[in-house]
Amino acid sequence: MRNIIFSFLALILLPAYMSGQVIKGKVLDKDGIGIPGAMIVAADSKTSTDTDFDGNFSINAKVGEVLKISMVGFDALSVPATAAPMSINLQESKDTELKEVVIIGYGTRKKIDNTTAITSLKAEEISKTKVLNASQAIQGKAAGVQVISSDLPGSTPSVIIRGLGTALGGRTPLYVVDGMPTDNINNINTNDITSYEILKDASSLAIYGTRAANGVIIITTKKGKGDKVLVEFESFAGFRKPLRTVKMAGSEAYARYSNAALNNTTFSENQPVNTNWLDAITRTGSYTQNNASISGSTESVKYFFSIGNYEEKAILNGLDYSRFTFRNNNEYKISKKLTLNQNFSFTSANSSPKPLGAFTNAYKQSPIVPVRFASGQYGVSFVDANGVANTSGSSFNNVGNPVAQLDFYDEEQRSISLQGGLKLDYDILKSLKFTSQFNGEYYSWKQYNFDDTRTIDIAGDPSPGNTLPTNINELTKGREQYFNWNLSNYLTYNKVFNEIHDVELTAGIETSVKGAREKLTIRRKNVNANSNYWSLAGVDNVANVISYRDEVFNETRLASYFGRFQYKLMDRYLITGTIRRDGSSNFAKDYRWGTFPAFGLGWVITKEEFMANATGIDLLKLRGGWGRLGNQTVPLNNQAYASGLTSYLGGSILNEGTTVNSQVDPSLSWEITEETSVGLDFELLNKRLKGSFDVYEKNTTNVILNVRPYPTSGIVVATPGHVGEVSNKGYEIALRWDDKLTDNLSYWVGGNYSKNINKLSGLKDFDISPIIGGNLGNGQDTKLLNSTSVGQPLGSFYIYEFAGIDPANGKMLYYNASGAKVTQDALSATNDKKYAGSILPKSNYGVTVGLNYKNIDFSVDGYGTGGAKVYNGKKAQRFTGENIEQSLATDFWSVSNTNASNPAPFNQVPVASTYYLESGDFFRVNNITLGYKVPMKENQFLSYCRIYMNAINPFITQKFSGFSPELNGDGNPYGNQGIELDAYPTLRSFVIGANLKF
Amino acid sequence: MKKIYITMFALSACFFSGCADDYLDVDQTESISTTDIELFNNDAGATTFVTSIYSKFLDWDMTSFGWIGLSSITSDDADKGSSPGDTGTDKDVLDALTYNASNPSVESTFNANYDGINRCNQALNIIPKLDKADANLRARLLGEAKFLRAFMYFTLVKAYGGVPIVDHLPNPTSEEDKIMLLTRKTAAEVYAFIESDLNDAIAVLPNKSVYSADEKARASKGAAHALLAKVNLYQKNWQKVVDNCNLVTGYSIVPDYAAMFRLSGENGDESIFEINGVGSVPAKGIQGYSASQGARGAGGWGWGFNTPSQSLVNAYEVGDVRKNATIIFRGTTLYDGRVVPVTVENERYNFKAYSSAFTDGWETDVNIKYLRYAEVLLMKAEALNELNQTPAAILLLNQIRNRAGLANTTAVSQGDVKTAIWKERRVEMAFEHDRFFDLVRTGQAAAAFAVDGKTFTVGKNELFPIPDSFIRQAAGLSSQNSGYN
Repeated sequence: MRNIIFSFLALILLPAYMSGQVIKGKVLDKDGIGIPGAMIVAADSKTSTDTDFDGNFSINAKVGEVLKISMVGFDALSVPATAAPMSINLQESKDTELKEVVIIGYGTRKKIDNTTAITSLKAEEISKTKVLNASQAIQGKAAGVQVISSDLPGSTPSVIIRGLGTALGGRTPLYVVDGMPTDNINNINTNDITSYEILKDASSLAIYGTRAANGVIIITTKKGKGDKVLVEFESFAGFRKPLRTVKMAGSEAYARYSNAALNNTTFSENQPVNTNWLDAITRTGSYTQNNASISGSTESVKYFFSIGNYEEKAILNGLDYSRFTFRNNNEYKISKKLTLNQNFSFTSANSSPKPLGAFTNAYKQSPIVPVRFASGQYGVSFVDANGVANTSGSSFNNVGNPVAQLDFYDEEQRSISLQGGLKLDYDILKSLKFTSQFNGEYYSWKQYNFDDTRTIDIAGDPSPGNTLPTNINELTKGREQYFNWNLSNYLTYNKVFNEIHDVELTAGIETSVKGAREKLTIRRKNVNANSNYWSLAGVDNVANVISYRDEVFNETRLASYFGRFQYKLMDRYLITGTIRRDGSSNFAKDYRWGTFPAFGLGWVITKEEFMANATGIDLLKLRGGWGRLGNQTVPLNNQAYASGLTSYLGGSILNEGTTVNSQVDPSLSWEITEETSVGLDFELLNKRLKGSFDVYEKNTTNVILNVRPYPTSGIVVATPGHVGEVSNKGYEIALRWDDKLTDNLSYWVGGNYSKNINKLSGLKDFDISPIIGGNLGNGQDTKLLNSTSVGQPLGSFYIYEFAGIDPANGKMLYYNASGAKVTQDALSATNDKKYAGSILPKSNYGVTVGLNYKNIDFSVDGYGTGGAKVYNGKKAQRFTGENIEQSLATDFWSVSNTNASNPAPFNQVPVASTYYLESGDFFRVNNITLGYKVPMKENQFLSYCRIYMNAINPFITQKFSGFSPELNGDGNPYGNQGIELDAYPTLRSFVIGANLKF
Repeated sequence: MKKIYITMFALSACFFSGCADDYLDVDQTESISTTDIELFNNDAGATTFVTSIYSKFLDWDMTSFGWIGLSSITSDDADKGSSPGDTGTDKDVLDALTYNASNPSVESTFNANYDGINRCNQALNIIPKLDKADANLRARLLGEAKFLRAFMYFTLVKAYGGVPIVDHLPNPTSEEDKIMLLTRKTAAEVYAFIESDLNDAIAVLPNKSVYSADEKARASKGAAHALLAKVNLYQKNWQKVVDNCNLVTGYSIVPDYAAMFRLSGENGDESIFEINGVGSVPAKGIQGYSASQGARGAGGWGWGFNTPSQSLVNAYEVGDVRKNATIIFRGTTLYDGRVVPVTVENERYNFKAYSSAFTDGWETDVNIKYLRYAEVLLMKAEALNELNQTPAAILLLNQIRNRAGLANTTAVSQGDVKTAIWKERRVEMAFEHDRFFDLVRTGQAAAAFAVDGKTFTVGKNELFPIPDSFIRQAAGLSSQNSGYN
């Protein structure tokens, strides 16, 4: 590209070419290697040229005339021309970073001119940790961004930017992938990403209006560059194990404990079987990924093609996942004024899911039960007269056999995502550009689940007297699809007046349509045992259909106008103002339009005269802003008739009938967040120390809570209403020290820390109904949000306070409201529960250290959180006859051990209490990478080869006694987030791989 | 390409010219908007709003596990059953009468009945607007809705005492309606409301004989009178009990007690009002009712809860056919040939929850007989006895005894006859969700529970606690029943 411009310039300057003599020379970098493409201008002779591939040039100029040599990334230099061949050394520019740009909504901005808080992560940061979803890889790398991930293949991490501002509205940030707004990036191959930018403050976010309140993540995928065809391969393989497991009691300890709980000798203390159920349902997981890409550019086209394939055999038996991706991004220079960008991606994912309840069952099932009896029958929890597990006898718990559960669970899912778009840039005038961008996203999903009903029943109870289920088997098939699209048109005007007034204006319109999601689910019975005969041609299955659901979910549309004004005075005073007006089809007519303004100010202090001589300070920039944002992903507000499945007009008494069981608030609209934020960017000590510090205060003033209606209203569908206020206040620090000790050795140490105080700052004092959540499935709820929650963080636990064990009888005691220690029967559900902390951490931090020595690169990244609480749901859910932890089995209250740290065995469902609530603090090394670049001779077919080893999550320190303190659950702070129940454990993975370039 | 862009540009330019607002009007597809009421403006449409009320009675929270716990396991007729360690969430504390205000069964039963009451109020609000539906049909449907609303309030007042009376659809923004929803009325006010609904229902409901064979489970005039009699029985308005019992006509006690509880006996001559389940596909039965009470363990088919107590077994006189019709004994063969092996976990199970055809089904053909003519006779007998017409009462009592294969009662004095009628109610209606409330009504509770080895605290256990979640929402407008905190 540069060549084109230079040739073009040369053409203009051709008339002056004829005078003077030919001056020859070479432009070199500090290592003495030629710099290709440097520009040489002889001002007096009005000639110019650029250097060739080896850095050589020749130019018509006069001896003694000043030649200006310039090159991107180097300091410009002026030298007098000499008759003898010149040798010119260019110094690498210290200013390189100042030319870096960040991507802002609907445009880009030089990083130095940006007034807002944006964290930019580059490709290598994202692809270094070998995980499926890019958001998992950025954990700990951006201050103010909390990522709660799960190692369940295909799962979506929760990303919380500067604190949670909503309880029930959409909590996920808006992803904008090459211009396409989307909710999920599971379809994006991490290796295709060139930049991942996190817009954090309201001043940068307001341009996205009603979708911005949870932050915006802009992802840009790769494009072709350079004039050579570049072929890249990356391949890795690894294996995975749970990072941490809980040691459960063995058979004999189990028998002792259970006998004590039942107060008789049901179980023999001499057990023939000792099953480790976790081992029985898990295996060493393995995964591989292979990527290949071809990219390059010509004068008129930049192209990039890539394919990727990810395969994982998960640690849970039978759970497999694979993903294939294809991407093609092209940029066409149609004319001098017209550029067309086209991007397209295809992703296909296949998985065979298994129920995560197997983890809970493996935790709870007794070790005395064999995986299979000698007869081959799956182990069942019957105890015979001899006190050992047998095929018949007394059933001693309700836990299924987790191995059978997995073996019999037969499900497959496949999905295909197509994403693509066209972007047209047209330079109407030199300073005025028109951009039109259309993007679309198509998703299709299909699934089957086969339930071999009779076989499963016989496996559980093969006795002849067993009544067989009526249905031989059941088959569920699901299909889902949607098409979303987005169209934006905008003008960008950029001009510098009088060399000091730099003005940029952007104005445009946009529409986003989230198409109706169509879903078809059919359940059939008594299908052919061979899966290839499930869908025979010409067969009418109506007689065997159990249920048939054909659903089309509501479409939502958004219409918007937006504008931005950016002004820079003398390269140091910066002003940005943005405004967006959004209309959303989600809301009632009079409540659907909203306006979202923002402004930002910046001051580059180091550009001031008085700082000119400041040593050790390379950059100092103060910035700040204010903005208003919306969150339109809130519960829908359409009042509907709840009707039966069979026929809503059915008169027969045996239909479900029709009624209205919901209630609406007609004034429901988006949630509004306002944020004020101030930040300081600095670069010190010769740019070796870089960092930034940000403070913010963010208030969401009309939080929608899924208000539970009064039970006496009989309304069973929760009613969304604007009832809450949430505040997030916090600060973020990011620091990084980079230094080069010798030419062969450089290193860095970096870290970030963010503190966020989240709280429910207010609730309207009428109509408040509590949200009771965190249900453990045994009648116990653990979380509460009601009028007493004001001042507490979101996701707070509200439970009884454990007061120790009664030394007299080993019973658990709890504090009641007046501070007395009582047993659970004497507790008052109304008065005695207390707030006991939240699932949300108060702080997050990340550290990174690394070094490059000759061909070796080594880096370690770590991540930690502080201040969160987690609930040990598996332990708390325990019923009689279920297994216990080894630590409990060896130390429980008995008459001979009255000082035990655990209570006497009991059968009652324990109330939710702080006994099961633990600190969620942890620090984990997320990634260790060791790479070695194999030395290559120049001009070889293979130009680059790096071999690496990766350890993902190799170490953790945690206080939690369960598996993992990182519990995303359903992602809902009032659901099972922060509660370990049916949770996939965090994994430790070791990976070996290679990058090759040709 | 250029053309596409011009089109797109024109399309987006459209926003400026004001069509954006229409563009944002999207018809909902996932549920039927309440603005489309015209879709229901016909006979079938009107009927469906009442169907949803009946349908509520088949729900898990309304009639199944929680309700079984509250109305049956608590009583001296039944034990928790199942395995010793399986508490069924809270069935152990219900059995022991040690439940508190956050008891799940207490909460689900309360909420489920108000869910049903909302369905009644929706029907009462919408049906009058459906002017294209037949006027007589609409009148009948409104009568059914009022009967069903009265039925649910009767359940509530028996279980919880005075409760909020929600007699119309509340407006979510109205302070007055909020107070209505959150303020408990007295039990007397609730009874008055029930009577008023039943009198309205009586005025419009047809006799059971008018309904077609597949619609017999609908509320009828006889059902309304029978329920009104029972409501009066609870208030000791003896003459009104007699008067209403006399108006329950067209019914008779059937000769075979046991057959009444099988599929063949559904909605028979004795049946006045029952909850109707269908087990054949598409199944629409009381969710989990049979499964939760089915025999547990090897050779069983259910969870084994709500087992008949020794106290109940002892209550049957020798030769009473009702014992083997009410109780499944371990190691016996049932009428349909099913062998209940000795390997099942509990000695006895509830026969009245047994489905022969859909034994382990989640939704089966088992019905609950809430009002039977036998009870009408017993209510009338009790009221007559209280009105000093003991000989007439004895005649009625003997009809019930003779049907059960028992000789005439030996009781003669008014006091003995009263006791005999109470005892007869127990064995006649065992496992029909009446016993606990009957014990409280008749003041026998403390003594009866003592026999069964449980402590009934007088002044507390007469009523269940109001769910804690409701008390918290009421924020001072309503207070808890005494003895619960």
